Formats: sequence, C-alpha cells, structure tokens
Amino acid sequence: MGTKAAKSAERRRGLTLTDVLVTVVLSLVLGVVYHVWAAVSDVAGLLFVQSNELVYGMWFAASTLAFLLIRKPGVALIAEIAAAHLEIAFGSAYGVQLLLYSVVQGLAAELIFAAFRYKNASATVAGLAGVAAAAASLLADIYYGYVAEYATWVIVLKYSLRAISSFVIAGYLMYGLAKLLERAGVAQSLRPVERKEYDALDR
Amino acid sequence: MNGFFAPARQTALHRANPALKLPLFIVLFILTMLTHTIDGSFYLACVFVLLLFMASGYPLWKTALLISGFALAFASASLTMVLFGRGSEIWWSWGPIVISQESFYRGLHLGFRSIAFGCQGLLFVLTTSSTGLFYALMQRFKLNPKYAYSFMASIRLLPMTLEELRIRRDALAIRGTGGSTRSRALLRLPERYALPLLAQSIRRAQRTAAAMEVKRFDADRRRTYYYSSPITSADWLVLLLLALAVTAAICLAQELPVFRLGDMRTGL
Repeated sequence: MGTKAAKSAERRRGLTLTDVLVTVVLSLVLGVVYHVWAAVSDVAGLLFVQSNELVYGMWFAASTLAFLLIRKPGVALIAEIAAAHLEIAFGSAYGVQLLLYSVVQGLAAELIFAAFRYKNASATVAGLAGVAAAAASLLADIYYGYVAEYATWVIVLKYSLRAISSFVIAGYLMYGLAKLLERAGVAQSLRPVERKEYDALDR
Repeated sequence: MNGFFAPARQTALHRANPALKLPLFIVLFILTMLTHTIDGSFYLACVFVLLLFMASGYPLWKTALLISGFALAFASASLTMVLFGRGSEIWWSWGPIVISQESFYRGLHLGFRSIAFGCQGLLFVLTTSSTGLFYALMQRFKLNPKYAYSFMASIRLLPMTLEELRIRRDALAIRGTGGSTRSRALLRLPERYALPLLAQSIRRAQRTAAAMEVKRFDADRRRTYYYSSPITSADWLVLLLLALAVTAAICLAQELPVFRLGDMRTGL
C-alpha cells in the first residue's frame, strides 16, 4: 500500500488535467472581472495623469491567485495565457499581442515563485511576483510603446504606481481572496499532496 | 460567437492550418514591432486595413464597423506620447504638458502601429476558431492534450459562470444588498461576487476534470483526433499573401514616403 500510494503521489506531483482545468477556469472568471475592471480603470484614469495605473495590478492577479491556490510550478504562466486566450476566443483585436505580453508576464511571476522553490505562498511573495510581472510589462512596453521616450517624471510615476498597485492587488488582495476560498472549503483539495500525508495514512 | 461573427464567405485564411497561421502572425507582430519609421508604420496600417476588407470574409459594413473601433486605439496609443513625450523642438507647452515635433510624430507613429497590430490581430481571430487552433497545435506542435482539452472545455464552462453572475446579482438585489454604492459596500464586493463565483467555478472545474481524466482526455500523444488538421495549399497561399502584404508596405514606404522622417526612437 505504501509504495503504491507513493507512486501515485509521484505521478500527481506534475500538473494534472485537474490542475490545468482549474487554473484555466479560474483565469476565465478573472477574465470576466477584467472586463468590469476595464471600466474601473477608465474611471480611475480621470483622477490625475497616469492614475489608471493605480488599479493596474489586477491584470496580474490571475497568475498569483492560481499559484496561491494550486501551488505547483507552471500554473502562474498557464493562468496568464488563459486570460489572454479568453480575449482571442472572443475576437479581441489585440489578442495576439496580449498572448505575447502574457507569456512575458507569466514567466516573470513564475521566476519569483521558483526563487522560493514553490514552497512559500505568502502575501509578500505573491506581491513580489506581481511586481515582477509589472517589471516584465515595462520591458515589453519599451519595445511596444516606446515608453523610454516619455519625459522622465512620467516614466517614474507610471511604473512606480504600477509596481505598488501590483504588490497590493496581485499580492495582498489575492491572498485575502485565497484565504476566503480556503474558509469556504474549496482550496484544500487543490493543493499538491505531500509525501508525509500519504505516510500518515499508513501509520 | 455565432450570429454577428459568422463569416459570410470562407477565404484562404479560414482554410489555412491555425498551427501554421499562429507563428506567421507572431512573425508579423514582431516585424511590425521592429518598424521604427513612420512611413513604414503608416503603410503597414494601410495594407492591413485593405487586407482585412478583402480577406476576412465579412461584408464591408461589418468590417468597417470593427475598424471604426481602432479610432479609440489610435487615440489611446498616441495621446500620452504626444502630450508627455521627450523632444527638443517645442511647439506648445502648458504646465506638465509639452508637445514637441518629435513627440507629436512619434505619437502618430504609435497610433499607426496600433492600427496595424489591431488589423493583424483581427485578421487572425476572425478567421480562426479556438477549437481548430487547439486541435492543430496538438497535431502539428505536439501540444500535450491535457492543456488543449482544458482550454477548449473552459470556453464551454464560461457561459455557466456568466449565468451565475446574473443570478447572484439578482439575488443580492432582491435581498436589498446589491445595489448599494456606499464605499463600504464596494469593499465587500470581492466577498459578495468573486468568492461565490470562484468557489462554484473551481468546484465545477474539478468535477469536469475528474470526468475528463476518466475518459482519458489527458492520455499521451499516441491517440486519434476527432478533427484532422492537415497542411494544404491554403497555407502556402496565406504565406504568399502575408509576404506580399509586408513587401508592398516596405516598397511603398521606400518609394512613396509621406512623412520623410527617420527613426522614431531617436529624434528625427
């Protein structure tokens, strides 16, 4: 029994179809939120110059929420791609470029989670992953939108607001949401099962 | 996706293999991104608007309606650069806003580029079905079936989520808690909407995935497929068409320049 369970644990450690489907569906729900959020972003943009960056962190939320719930390598990247795929599936003109952006941003978030060996699912680490995704979006923007040619104060304002908003929204807000989902009892069955939990069954 | 988005006629772009079309359009995207002259981006935008009218398979009025949305994209892509871009030859300034010759043309250039990107993107999404894309990726690029079927299944699960969102909103309205616009109500928005929608969707995804695993949707690549995804003459036609379009834009920018300005990143 012990060896069989261990082998099964081995097989389930990689991403299973369940992990992938839950990640993708999670991102699609957030994708629906994104459509509402686009309106929030427009309203926030009226406050002052570049103020729509205050709510920008929401665009990176899919990857951190997916990791906070599933905690396996790869889900952050898949979550970003799935959110972009929603746009392609519904005929957005900017689907192809969102796909490329999502790959860059997802890889950046993934890098942070990998730096903590996928063990640390705290709000701060999620926030750092959000900031990394924001930094990756800056790199993409330099090529895509020539942001390096903005006046210096605009660049500093725009990207510091984006980094702060990513840290708060993709980090702390998503951590809170993950905790709520935990209390609702849906998060536990998503986590990878540790070897020692199988061993506890044999005892 | 049906109704408005059903094409009137099938063009070579519809018949082409999506797994080859996707890399082709990514190459197009990169080529457009490496265009740093305003003449280049202007003609790329013109050529792809024309191609969208000819090859998307939609009636003229529908294409025109879709393209009209690019006016907003043009404005949003160019405005920040026009108002806040760097430049030495200043035309007008007021407070933090400085419009210079360089930033103005750079803004226009970004606007033309965003139209070119938009047209290329539309050309791809209007002629490609999600299902076709994933079947092609599995067969041509050996994409693991668990990813492909997850993405395809999720699109079918989405309408249920939208339905639940509607029910949730109605339920909260009946209880007299939904429509409140006080800021405290805004703070409880995640708890009221995101939590129940996410919880339901996650549970449904788990149930669906369990059923799919039992039916071996995640089985390895030695399998058969419901749709075959061959490479046909339409693929070569699309390759030729896109190469011709890019060449035409480059030649026009060389032979008939409108703006006659240099690289947009470094002065003019």
